[in-house]
Amino acid sequence: MHTSFTSHDLPASCAALEDLLPAYAEGELAPAEVAQVEAHLATCAACQEKVAQYQTLAQDLLGLPLACPTPEMRTDFMAMLHREKAALTTENVAPIANAEPRVEHEAKVILMWSRPATRQWLQVAASILLVAVGVVLGLVLHPGSEQLAANQTRKPSLATQLATAATQPATASDRIQLVSNAPTTNQQNDATVLVLVNTLNTDPNPNVRLAACEALYRLRKDPRVAPALVHSLPLQTDPNVQITLIELLVALRTPEAVPQLERLAQRRDALPAVRQQAEQGIGLLI
Amino acid sequence: MPLLPVLLSNFQKRTLSPPTETLVETTDEALMTQVQADNLDQLVPLFERYHQPLFSFLCRLTGDREVSQDLAQNVFYRVLKYRASYHAGQPFRAWIYQLARNVHTDHWQQNRRPTADVDQIEHTASYGRSALAHAAATDRDAALQEALALLPPDQREILVLHRFQGFDYAEIGELLGCTAGAARVKAHRALEALRKIYFS
Repeated sequence: MHTSFTSHDLPASCAALEDLLPAYAEGELAPAEVAQVEAHLATCAACQEKVAQYQTLAQDLLGLPLACPTPEMRTDFMAMLHREKAALTTENVAPIANAEPRVEHEAKVILMWSRPATRQWLQVAASILLVAVGVVLGLVLHPGSEQLAANQTRKPSLATQLATAATQPATASDRIQLVSNAPTTNQQNDATVLVLVNTLNTDPNPNVRLAACEALYRLRKDPRVAPALVHSLPLQTDPNVQITLIELLVALRTPEAVPQLERLAQRRDALPAVRQQAEQGIGLLI
Repeated sequence: MPLLPVLLSNFQKRTLSPPTETLVETTDEALMTQVQADNLDQLVPLFERYHQPLFSFLCRLTGDREVSQDLAQNVFYRVLKYRASYHAGQPFRAWIYQLARNVHTDHWQQNRRPTADVDQIEHTASYGRSALAHAAATDRDAALQEALALLPPDQREILVLHRFQGFDYAEIGELLGCTAGAARVKAHRALEALRKIYFS
């Protein structure tokens, strides 16, 4: 029997029902057992107190706050997923690469006669000529290349790169990479924040928008970030982006977001999970 | 003859209920089957559904946010790594929680020292609240977290599964390898142990 919790000083009538009390407090007993416990409770103050404690405990457990993971968890997860996907494609390509030497092995061309000496000399002369042409071209184009090198040392800002990516047909993963590589600090007048906000509001791919959210979170010290996130909330339709935005607004403690969150919690086209997240967010911000 | 109406209603059921098919596509199990077939992007919606509950589960077990985040990340890594071991139709929730339990056990064995930064959890989890107005509630929460942290790990786990993760006794029994009845007894014992600590 359950001796571990039977106290030595308990009266026999209490000890007999001791194991039933948690189930009674939880409302899990059959009617016959309920009657048995209640008959005892009517005469035993100690067991009444115990039941009251179980009920308080159950309520307090319900009231324990829920800890939320930081947005980095999603970033780390996406990075891990990209790595695994990349590994998967190389695995798929690997068998073809392995197959190549076998083919070579099967059909190897063996020269039946030695190459004429003149042909070897011709090859050497052609190599020298190629090098010479390269050197001449290099000298002729020197000023241009110097400028190019100067440009390379002054790496284009993320803002320029993203703006270019927006006008050119860059792939979603390219855009994610660009956005994810956004710096964590920036100057007051840097356009990075504006470009990231623009990406967050207009990029057709939700994963790029998510990456923009997270990049903006890293730049949270910039005073433009929090209001931009608030304004972006009604523009988003993807539930993942909506939930991430709510999490970030809560993490940034932005009470200005409350009206937008209230509107989102009422939106019929939003998923129940999103509306619930919005309500939780309101609870944490007010 | 009652056969005709039955046939008719069956026909109507079959022709009028296509939307259920689109719903079935997005079940956890359907997504996991896709992941298993190397469509790794389908792990993203599963991550969205489970990262918060798993983080919270691990947080309640370890009492450490940072560790829990790493462990939860590790759970998703194991989902990918061991995706071949998932059986089609197997309840995904039970499977991923089993992975989470394993990750936690591994962590527990590697770091046997207690890692109870309970205060840390309280301060970070209750941000945004007015500290003064909720001081009493926060004290109570801290005391309860402390009491939970003092429970033996297996009792803490069963309470967390039942109270916070919404597992019923049958599901807990499946996870722990015992009957639903035995899981219920264990849960009650854990509750009794917690009551003794909390009200002592």
